[in-house]
Amino acid sequence: MNIKEYISSGIVQSYVLDQADAAERAEFEKLSAQYPELVAERKAFEEALEKFALQNAVVPPRQVKDGFLEAIQNPSINQSKVITMEQHSNAPVRKNSGLRFMAAASVVLLLACGWFAYRFYNQATELKASNSDLQTRLDSAENTLNKIVDEQKLIKDPNVTVVNMVGSTAAPQSSANVFWDTASASVFLMVKNMPKLPSDQQYQLWALIGGQPKSLGVFDSLQNNVVLRMDNTKKADAFAITIEKKGGTKSPTLEKMQSSGRTKAPL
Amino acid sequence: MSAIPTYTEQELVSLLKNRDNKAFGYLYDHYSGALYSIILQILSDTELANDVLQDVFVNIWRKIESYDSTKGRLFTWMLNIARNASIDTLRSKTYQNDRKNQSMDNQGEEPLVALVTQVNVDNIGFRKVLAQLRDEQRLLIDLAYFKGYTHEEIAEMENLPLGTVKTRIRSALIQLRGFLK
Repeated sequence: MNIKEYISSGIVQSYVLDQADAAERAEFEKLSAQYPELVAERKAFEEALEKFALQNAVVPPRQVKDGFLEAIQNPSINQSKVITMEQHSNAPVRKNSGLRFMAAASVVLLLACGWFAYRFYNQATELKASNSDLQTRLDSAENTLNKIVDEQKLIKDPNVTVVNMVGSTAAPQSSANVFWDTASASVFLMVKNMPKLPSDQQYQLWALIGGQPKSLGVFDSLQNNVVLRMDNTKKADAFAITIEKKGGTKSPTLEKMQSSGRTKAPL
Repeated sequence: MSAIPTYTEQELVSLLKNRDNKAFGYLYDHYSGALYSIILQILSDTELANDVLQDVFVNIWRKIESYDSTKGRLFTWMLNIARNASIDTLRSKTYQNDRKNQSMDNQGEEPLVALVTQVNVDNIGFRKVLAQLRDEQRLLIDLAYFKGYTHEEIAEMENLPLGTVKTRIRSALIQLRGFLK
């Protein structure tokens, strides 16, 4: 191998400017290990090339340096740059950064949509639950109101006689009111305070007509201030409540009379 | 560039391999203009060149470990990174489409804003030197060095024997050596 001839063949420039193919590069590197003058020639050309390039430099805009420094100081930006450079053969970097921004933005948008959907779904579920809860409470309030209105009507109706039942000596605490509509013969009972009974017993309401008891039905000691509709009676001198076995009896057990009241004030 | 080197090449490479950010700042200040020039000569578009230059420096930062000083100077290594990145961008579909759109949009219309970023690169850097070559050599150097075609591709494109392509390129490179001296 005539190294002088080899050097002057243009292989040095070819190697440095990346114009040599793989075989030429391998040969050049092998010979460089043997011939210091080849290395010296390569270095001389590289230095001339560098000097020329520095003399013909074009100053880039400041933002490029800022972008570069930011990228190497911020690992996350740096990461994304890494990806860009590794697939750089397909798309220019500027377009990539736009695409990357769009991709990032759409992921953010998707996540935001998901979050809102989740939020709205939860809100809808909560609203449905609270709506049905409100409906239940409204129904219950309406029922209560209707009852109160009915009771008020009953109390204020001029045809209705209110009989205050007072406790007997057997049950001084017991008290209830009978509302007797003399026009329609309807009888309503409002329990004020009746002690709870064993499960095999019930209270029974009686109308006393000419000294004879007439059953107006049985009731349990429910919560206070509940108006119960009892059987109708057109006549009554007095009302009485007794404790009877469950289901009631035909004639009252008077010794178990809890309370009674006359329909007319005694003269 | 009038920057006075404050490191020997060996010191600089050693600092760079240790990811010394100051050294990278120096590297940028010292070499960005020279690399920007070669990128511009390939892409002729300042906006694209800005993006490529930034990525080239990030890539240098990333790949500095793989730089082998026995195979060439640091600048040679960086120059090839810049050249390859520019050629990849040049060949990308998006770049080609941009070009197509520009030439279509441009028919009889007022110049596009994009054209404002175009630079006349005939008078900068190696292009200036190439002007001294014979036309046939200049064409081959342009295809091989600035467009990145292999010698085989050029032989096919120009309908020349591969040996002729290689000889002409070698001959052009030898002349280039003379111009740079």
